Amino acid sequence: MTATIIGRLSQAFLLLLAMSVIGFVGIHSVGNPVFNIVNVETATPEDIRRATIALGLDQPLWRQYSLFLGNVVSGNFGTSYIYHLPAFRLVMNKLPATFELAAVAMLVAAPSGILLGLLAGRRKGTVADRAILNSSVFALSVPSFWLSMLLIMVGAMLTGWFPSGGRGDAVSAFGSEWSVFTLSGMHHLVLPALALAIPNIALIARLTRSGTIEVEAQDFTRFCQAKGLSPRRILFRHTLPNISVPIVTIIGMQFGGMLAFAVVVESIFNWPGIGKLLIDSIQLLDRPVVLATLTFVAIAFVGLNALVDIFYAVLDPRTRRSA
Amino acid sequence: MNTEAIRALWKRPASFRLTIPKLVLAAFVLLAIAASVIAPQNPYDPLQIFAWESSSPPGTAGGGGYVYLLGTDGLGRDILSTVFYGLRISLFVAVTSTVLAALIGMSLGVIAAYLGRWADALIMRVVDLQLSLPTMLVALIAIVTLGPGVDRIILALVIVQWAAYARVTRGVAMSEANKAYLDAARLLRLPPARNVFRHLLPNSIAPAITLIPIELGHAVALEATLSFLGLGVPIDKPSLGSAVANGFQYLMTGQYWISLFPGLALFGLIASINFVGEDFRRRYDPRSH
Repeated sequence: MTATIIGRLSQAFLLLLAMSVIGFVGIHSVGNPVFNIVNVETATPEDIRRATIALGLDQPLWRQYSLFLGNVVSGNFGTSYIYHLPAFRLVMNKLPATFELAAVAMLVAAPSGILLGLLAGRRKGTVADRAILNSSVFALSVPSFWLSMLLIMVGAMLTGWFPSGGRGDAVSAFGSEWSVFTLSGMHHLVLPALALAIPNIALIARLTRSGTIEVEAQDFTRFCQAKGLSPRRILFRHTLPNISVPIVTIIGMQFGGMLAFAVVVESIFNWPGIGKLLIDSIQLLDRPVVLATLTFVAIAFVGLNALVDIFYAVLDPRTRRSA
Repeated sequence: MNTEAIRALWKRPASFRLTIPKLVLAAFVLLAIAASVIAPQNPYDPLQIFAWESSSPPGTAGGGGYVYLLGTDGLGRDILSTVFYGLRISLFVAVTSTVLAALIGMSLGVIAAYLGRWADALIMRVVDLQLSLPTMLVALIAIVTLGPGVDRIILALVIVQWAAYARVTRGVAMSEANKAYLDAARLLRLPPARNVFRHLLPNSIAPAITLIPIELGHAVALEATLSFLGLGVPIDKPSLGSAVANGFQYLMTGQYWISLFPGLALFGLIASINFVGEDFRRRYDPRSH
């Protein structure tokens, strides 16, 4: 168990290292950030030279990279070319917005997906099952940007029930700004959270359904039925724990995936999280912020997967014994 | 050479049913191929566009002697024509990248299985690392690195997709590599490339082929998403994704048709591919429910 985790972590570390190299080299070939800082029409060659030195772009690439790597370890990604703030602090400032969006979306998606999946799996082949299965294909077919726009069309423009963008009021808690604790914030959260949640409801429902069908066919379920247990007790006390491992895996992975997919939803709903920061920074060629954001999302995702691995041991005693 | 597995895929199934998704998908493909013939306007040709007729609602009669059935966008382009041409670009990008990714992934999977040792370790470690990350993250990193453009987005989609084919193919090829016919081929002192591509590859790719329809749907969606974010296909020759993005700014002022119709076409395309793909997989992959 410990060996597996250490192995996974070192593999994850190598992955992050490789990604940082690719990203660092790649972003260099996108465009020269100096021309973003200086006014191209009025700048003298001397201005451009000074800006290049000030940004450290006169150093050879490998030196810039080793400097960058050393800085990453100490949480220093350099200063944003646009906001003139430390890039890492910028990401951390935007993180609570993304986190609360993803957390609310998952709190909606996990229970409803599991319930729909159990329902469909119990009644395999019925109208309810087919309806859930077919609508899940539809829900997984909608690209998230199109889903977001449909939600804006229906939820904001036609009915006017919800705001079409922005974050609403925020309160300070745990040292940062949170809007999930205010009424206006929750009001603003509904549509973007739904946009993130709907594909995940479908995914979790499909997984739960096939797991339920598999488990219901096994002998212990039939034994429970013979014992006279109520169907509800069988479903929640016996079936659900047996399919919990893949469900927890997908929830963990999807939560990490939400951090990446939040890019789309946040851009559309103008939600000031790290996804919107990433897209804005790519468009403004703000290299330190792009690197800081991508690095952060990658680390968060890999870390979440490791957490899920540890969680297995809690859920499934069989993985605990096989040390 | 035993290629029954492949032949089973091509054989017309006894119970071929013409379902609605198959019809819809066929219609989309036909529209994309015939775009330049049936579209009332070429949206890339400035001479055919009447700028003063921009943002006309659906049903407006235009100066070109035809009715804008789905309205026009902010530049005066006919939405119906934009949808036809956009379908063409979206399908072209998705099909090209899926075929390339399948070819590269299958080849690398077979090569890894045949060579073993360090080649296997190297290829499969890269596959593991890549499949452990969300596709969107890999796509974003690739596109940030490569920059925008149709060729770049195809390359980015290939980078995202090849690993899945490699993993599945390698698994099958590992067991095929121990079979007698391959020993015979080795004993004949055939060149390794011939062993790999003429004998091992055809017998190992059947399970990976069942991935293609599903991955095609993913490719359409991913291309549209990247184009929507302004990181994919350039906006002057819009794919369906960039056509939706193009109308996003008009959504708030009530000109819903600029985004709505390309979006509906996109959704229909992906949904029909997914339904057909699910049907395909259910037929050929005994493991799936």
